[in-house]
Amino acid sequence: MHFEGDQTLNSPIETVWAYFMDPEKVAACAPGFKSMETLGPDHFKPTLAVGVGAVKATFTLDVTLQDLQPPNHAAVVARGNAAGSAVDMRSEMNLTAESEAVTKLHWTADVNVSGTIASMGARLMEGTAQKLTERFFDCLRQNLPASSAS
Amino acid sequence: MTSANPPITGMGHSVKRKEDPRFLRGKGNYVDDVKLPGMLYMDIVRSPYAHAKIVNIDASKALALPGVLAVITGKDLDAAGLAWMPTLMSDKQMVLPVDRVVYQAQEVAAVIATERYIAADAITLVDVEYEPLQPVVDPKKALEPDAPLVRPDREAKTNHIWHWEAGDAAQTDAIFQQAEVIVKEDLYIPRIHVSSIETCGCVASFDRISGKLTIYMTTQAPHAIRTVFSLVSGIPEHHIRIISPDIGGGFGGKVPVYPGYVIATVAALQTGHPIKWIEDRSENLQADSFARDYHISAELAANRDGTMRALRVRTLADHGAFDAAANPSKFPAGLFSICTGSYQLEAAHVEVDGVYTNKPSGGVAYRCSFRVTEAVHTIERMVDRLAQELKVDPADVRMKNFIQPEQFPYKSATGWEYDSGNYPATFTKALDKIGYAELRREQAEKRARGELMGIGISTFTEIVGAGPSHTFDILGIKMFDSCEIRVHPTGSAIVRIGVQSQGQGHETTFAQIVAEELGLPVDNIVVEHGDTDTAPYGLGTYASRSTPVAGAATAVAARKIREKARHIAAHLLEVDPNDLEWANYQFQVKGVPGKAVTMKDIAFAAYTNHPQGMEAGLEAVDYYDPPNLTFPFGAYICVVDIDRGTGVVKIRRFLAVDDCGNIINPMIVDGQIHGGLTMGMAPALLEAITYDENGNIQQANFMDYLLPTSMETPAWETDKTVTPSPHHPFGAKGVGESATVGAPPAIANAVVDALAHLGVTHMDIPVTPWKVYQVLQEHGAAEP
Repeated sequence: MHFEGDQTLNSPIETVWAYFMDPEKVAACAPGFKSMETLGPDHFKPTLAVGVGAVKATFTLDVTLQDLQPPNHAAVVARGNAAGSAVDMRSEMNLTAESEAVTKLHWTADVNVSGTIASMGARLMEGTAQKLTERFFDCLRQNLPASSAS
Repeated sequence: MTSANPPITGMGHSVKRKEDPRFLRGKGNYVDDVKLPGMLYMDIVRSPYAHAKIVNIDASKALALPGVLAVITGKDLDAAGLAWMPTLMSDKQMVLPVDRVVYQAQEVAAVIATERYIAADAITLVDVEYEPLQPVVDPKKALEPDAPLVRPDREAKTNHIWHWEAGDAAQTDAIFQQAEVIVKEDLYIPRIHVSSIETCGCVASFDRISGKLTIYMTTQAPHAIRTVFSLVSGIPEHHIRIISPDIGGGFGGKVPVYPGYVIATVAALQTGHPIKWIEDRSENLQADSFARDYHISAELAANRDGTMRALRVRTLADHGAFDAAANPSKFPAGLFSICTGSYQLEAAHVEVDGVYTNKPSGGVAYRCSFRVTEAVHTIERMVDRLAQELKVDPADVRMKNFIQPEQFPYKSATGWEYDSGNYPATFTKALDKIGYAELRREQAEKRARGELMGIGISTFTEIVGAGPSHTFDILGIKMFDSCEIRVHPTGSAIVRIGVQSQGQGHETTFAQIVAEELGLPVDNIVVEHGDTDTAPYGLGTYASRSTPVAGAATAVAARKIREKARHIAAHLLEVDPNDLEWANYQFQVKGVPGKAVTMKDIAFAAYTNHPQGMEAGLEAVDYYDPPNLTFPFGAYICVVDIDRGTGVVKIRRFLAVDDCGNIINPMIVDGQIHGGLTMGMAPALLEAITYDENGNIQQANFMDYLLPTSMETPAWETDKTVTPSPHHPFGAKGVGESATVGAPPAIANAVVDALAHLGVTHMDIPVTPWKVYQVLQEHGAAEP
């Protein structure tokens, strides 16, 4: 599945970049976040509980940050298993400064879901992904500082 | 309780089923009802990926859960030489994978625990690290040079499994070159699942003192399983007992050996405890063997006057990751070459290529003999296609091309010798009974008003009763079948048969065969089957082979007893055996009907007063090797109405006129036909298993995989003609699969017929409302 979208964030580009490079902050907005193990500066293992329709699963993801080009570009590669299900994902983000206080975010995500969640929840998957994405960016907007100073 | 003089009620009586009192009272004994002391429970970790390397399996968390006794992986089995097992098709199949998975929901590891629920919890704690590989799910793409290799374990580095063909290519091509008319159509018969009410499972128990392994198993072929288990495991065959107790539907899906049976057996041997494994519904739907999945390209050559001349068929058969179908050894595409159907053809050429894909094994013979559903669908669609091309009535094209009664035995263009048939008579009966001419008039009126009504025909020929041992075997074991009868001194009898029942009513029908042959009341005859320690060796129940093969063995064994009984009767009546005749279920002196003895009297004498020099007792065994297959046939007519607003196809009428030769129990035959028609309607209108591009099954539950219920099932109309098989001892042909095979093209033809005036020439099954509505929209015939 391919997803992409644009967000306009009322924060300077450096603030947005710094926020995204802080795994604790990003993870806190991730849907169903339970805990995280940090294995290195670009390597993390968050545990997330996700439900698609009637199927609920707790995934432990192996996440690495790649292709970092501060403050404009980053990629995230994640893979994880839950009982009978697996997810493989590559997500990219491009940041551009619209003005000193406004940053435009373009993101893409290519997600392969396998196993029980894909089989049982295929028809619900896109809707669920949409909802989880909206929830993530709502959380992000609330938590993003309005300026680099704060 | 039996009355003092119960009736014989042999052949042709609608005897109520002996097995029903226990089923209706909930007293059946299925595998999951088996409970043994000290029994442990198994559950299976399954792969989320359709294709992946296994990097590591960490069972530590699962093993730490109280109640978990063992986690078995492919490496454990590999150490014992059991990570792979042979399939029935001379391929091999992973029991548990050592380093890679090749379809989604494949078995990856097994947990053994003290309780079912602990086992289910523990499988979520087994941590499997995968490295995903690109899967291939489309058999056409699987044959491309750069396709991912499904089976690198094989010497041949290709996804192509085998090529098989029948008929005469040169003669067929020659006819096509000069044909006046050629019609061509691509047909896809989708992957479907048998979805029997009872899922698969077993209880494996090993007695360390006696060395005896007993496995209660949901299997349609217990003897063959015993032999294969012995050959693979090295356990002497007399130390293996397979018991197939009451089975909640088989339909071909319980012929293959599934990994769960083998893993449970290994666990029983290792732990010394009985191990129970029962699949849940989703596991059954996702991982057990599938049926159909044939990509067919068919061409029919004919004259302008409608005379059919030649058929050319090329097929890609998607067999999934292992060729674990259950076809006879010499027939990797089953009996698909019966696709010339009920028609005279000068020539035919049929080719099938088997292909591996990253899906569970396919090719199970789902209530279709072997690939006969695919064959019948092909020819019955093509005949309609020809009629549409020539703008003539499909009934007329059929009548014009039928093999005629006097042509039997008829040698088909692909080499089969049809035993008997009277196709025009059966079809005429169906046309008259449904009022065909009137239906066509009604259709014309409705079309004029813009209403969509279709009439579909299927005049099919089945091929069942495998089979003659010169041609038919499974893993080298010839496809005979067997019966052993013992008549007790007081005139009752026990009958043990080599086939096994999954709901067919053998305990009743086989008793009726013996009742008819021996003149003993059906109430006094008990039939046993399914236990390899007591039943004679047989190849099992599938492909409508029980009545044609084991039924024949039963009649022949009974006749051996009757021949001995004649000598005892002669002794009792003090006449020469040649002066006796068998009439009215007794031996009587020719011309002196009053001087007679019954089988009950003879049975008593066999143990109390038998002639000097004769062995005491009254029993016989027969291993029957049929001289040919049998060829049941039928004429089905379906009437549908299509809603232009929703695309919903409603079956208004469906008439099935079947000819299965002589009938043992008309009520059971009716039941077989009603069930078979429903199972034939299902893939025509509702059922299909599909996969996304990553190999995720899209129908892993009954919300997404639509089985028909009584709500979707129309009131079936049935009738019959009787054309006995000339080579079967009592003229029967078998009926278990006719309706499943014959119904889908009647429905598909009806739908295309309803849309034919719009220019529609073909629709693949299932003809779902969505598909029909799309077609209506494309042709501007949809109501908004």
